[in-house]
Amino acid sequence: MIKMSEGLSVLLSKGLSELGVSGSIENLEPLTGGASKEIWKFNLVNSDVSLKMIFRRGSGTESSLAIQTADEAKIQEEVRKEGGPVPEIVLVSNSGNDLGDSYVMKFIEGETIARKILRDERYKPALPLLAHQCGEAIAKIHNTPLANLQFLPKKSPIQLIEDLYNLYQSYQQPSPVFEYAYRWLKQQNYGDFKDSLVHGDFRLGNILVNEHGLAGIIDWELAHIGNPIQDLGWMCGNSWRFGNYKMVVGGFGEIEDLIDGYNSVSEEKINAELIKTWQVFGTFRWGVICLMQAYAHINGSVNSIEKAAIGRRVSETEIDIVDLLFLGGN
Amino acid sequence: MIFDRPTSIELITAVIDFLNTEIKEELPPHLVFKLRIVTNVLQIVQREIDLGECLSKEAEELIKEVIKSTQEPSLVELANSIKESSTELDKESLKNALIEITKSKISVDNPRYSTFKKLVE
Repeated sequence: MIKMSEGLSVLLSKGLSELGVSGSIENLEPLTGGASKEIWKFNLVNSDVSLKMIFRRGSGTESSLAIQTADEAKIQEEVRKEGGPVPEIVLVSNSGNDLGDSYVMKFIEGETIARKILRDERYKPALPLLAHQCGEAIAKIHNTPLANLQFLPKKSPIQLIEDLYNLYQSYQQPSPVFEYAYRWLKQQNYGDFKDSLVHGDFRLGNILVNEHGLAGIIDWELAHIGNPIQDLGWMCGNSWRFGNYKMVVGGFGEIEDLIDGYNSVSEEKINAELIKTWQVFGTFRWGVICLMQAYAHINGSVNSIEKAAIGRRVSETEIDIVDLLFLGGN
Repeated sequence: MIFDRPTSIELITAVIDFLNTEIKEELPPHLVFKLRIVTNVLQIVQREIDLGECLSKEAEELIKEVIKSTQEPSLVELANSIKESSTELDKESLKNALIEITKSKISVDNPRYSTFKKLVE
């Protein structure tokens, strides 16, 4: 690891100085990230000023659903112009360059681990503010002009539903609940919303939280263009409440606060019924992601107890769908 | 059953106890987290040995209520009947089958799951 970090340090230093950013790279350390991304932190030191930075690089083995890592940086630059709380981008490198498919961004202090955010004393004052702040931030993402983001895949609700269903079917493990959800979802009204930038995975785990609330939005790899309400439905799914099922928004907030926050920024006004449809979609989506992970183990492409175990979490999403559709769940 | 005690469930309990005592204290933190996954998986297997046959029989009866003509009621057949639109989505026996079968599955996979706890309370 020491050798690897020395090599990386030289490349980062070279890449930054080519952009006119001078300084020495210090304390370069790997952080635990997703399985398919490398994440490093370092200090960029210039005489007496030390700036904390993050380097994020794709491995080329990301899921087929993910966008290029360098494209995440381009999105963050656009969302930042809208006033969204995202890290400032310092350098972008494409896969042909020495640094690979990657970018450098300024470090934002904040916690990502859901259980800590929901349980630590430190974040208690932030939790009542967070749903409103998330609503505002999601609306800013959706307000982002698309002119510079045309490289992103564009998906209508029906295409998303069909893609998800095809992926589910590819595992040949029939689920009556998923079959029902698929037919139900196709019959719903998704409203007449303009195409918007969609984060695609907005939830605890992918946002940075400090004692004042939302500090940053990260992990843009599932971003695409489509119906904006899916971001709200995704974060309201029970899969992302971490056991606090009464707090509909991410396990910490009320849906009214999320909607108020959203409507305070967005031209497009939304209501809870629209969100619920996307909650069903999001829950189905998480169920299929669990299936995908489990089958990576079952098919032998990885031998992993975690992936094997996640196969038995599909039924969590089935019970959530049944609860939403038939038993008055929210 | 021709097998002696300990029963399969008792054997798995012995393994879980061993992992949680002698093995756990030897492990670094990242493996303690994995060990929790391992013991969870073993508990799923125990519940499936204990309840699986009975719950599967009950599921077959529920599926027969939806598809009267069926000879071999199974999840595959129920899934296909929804897929081929041969069953209306608002049919009460269908909703009931989906609710009860799903409750049975989660009662083995994760009986501590929030939605399941809420529904059985």
